[in-house]
Amino acid sequence: MAELHIIGQIVGASGFPQSSLFCKWGIHTGGAWRLLSGLKEGQTQVDLPQTGDMAYWSHPIDLHYTTKGLQGWPKLHLQVWHQDSFGRCQLYGYGYCHVPSSPGHHHVRCVTWRPLGSWQEQIAQTFVGGGPQLRSPDLVYSGADRYRLHTVAMGTVELELGIIMRHFDRYGVES
Amino acid sequence: MAINNPSVFLLMINGQIEGANFPEYDDLYCKYCFVYGHDWAPTSGLEEGISQITSKGRDSPQRMIWNFPLEITFKSTNPLGWPQIVVSVYGPDTFGNDVVRGYGATHIPFTPGQHTRTIPMFVPESTSRLQKFTSWLLGRRPEFTDPKVVAQGEGRE
Repeated sequence: MAELHIIGQIVGASGFPQSSLFCKWGIHTGGAWRLLSGLKEGQTQVDLPQTGDMAYWSHPIDLHYTTKGLQGWPKLHLQVWHQDSFGRCQLYGYGYCHVPSSPGHHHVRCVTWRPLGSWQEQIAQTFVGGGPQLRSPDLVYSGADRYRLHTVAMGTVELELGIIMRHFDRYGVES
Repeated sequence: MAINNPSVFLLMINGQIEGANFPEYDDLYCKYCFVYGHDWAPTSGLEEGISQITSKGRDSPQRMIWNFPLEITFKSTNPLGWPQIVVSVYGPDTFGNDVVRGYGATHIPFTPGQHTRTIPMFVPESTSRLQKFTSWLLGRRPEFTDPKVVAQGEGRE
C-alpha cells in the first residue's frame, strides 16, 4: 500500500476587500484513500493584520494517507470568511487546489471566488453584508454542475506544503 | 498502474483551469475538452466540462477566476497523439448574446510534477467588413463547428 504524507501550513491570505479573515479548510479524497492519522478538516483563527494586507494564520496541516489507487488524489478545499467588528461572519471566497503530487516542498497559491447574486442582492450586500453561499460545498472541488453558477474573483490563499511519498514505485508510479 | 503489461502506461492529470486574463471582456465561462490520438483512451475522469460564469473582481486587479477542476487519467501504448487540452471561452456581447471570445490549446506536460501553463487565445475573424458588421449586429460571430480543430495542424491555411 502506498503512503502519502502531507506536512505544511496554511500561511495566510491576501487580496481580499477586508482583512479580518479566517479560513475553514478540508481535504477531500477518493474512495481508495484512507486517512491514517491527522485532522482532515479544520478552521483557522481570525487574523486582523496590523500592517499590510495579508492575514497570516500559519495553520499546521499534518496528514498521513494510505492508498491502493491513484484515483481521487487529495484536494484541499477552502472557504475564506470575514468577521467584522460586530462579530458577524460573511463568506469571502471558496477555492480549492490539488495537493502536489511530487515529493518536496511546494509553495501553493490557491485562488478563490465568491458566488455573485443578482444586482439587487449585490446592492444589499454593500450595505448589509451577507451574500449568496453554495448549498452544497462539494461544488468547490467538482466541475460537474458549475454551469449554472455566476461568480466573481476574490483574493488568494498561500499554502506551504511538503509532500513525502512512500512505496509509490512499487505500483509503477513515477514521480 | 499495470506493470504486468509493460507496454501500457497511464497518464494521470490533476489540476485546474485557474482563470483568465481578458482585458476587454467580462462575465466569461469556459469549456474544455481533451484531444488525443488513436492509441489513447481515457480511463477515468471527465473528458469535457463547462465552468461557471465569472466576473472580474472589483478590488483584485482585473482577474477572472474559475478555479475549475481538471482530473483525468489516460491509458496509452504510444506517445504519439499525446493529449492536448482545448479551452474555449465564451461571453456575452453588447446585446446579451453568447459569443465566443477565444480558443486555445496546449499539450499536457510530458514530465511528472507541477506545471503551470498560460494559453494564448484567438478567435476567427471574417475577412469582409460587411460580415464583421452584421455579425456584431446580430450577435453571431464566426466560430468553429468543432473546437477540436484548434488542436490540429491541418487546414489552418
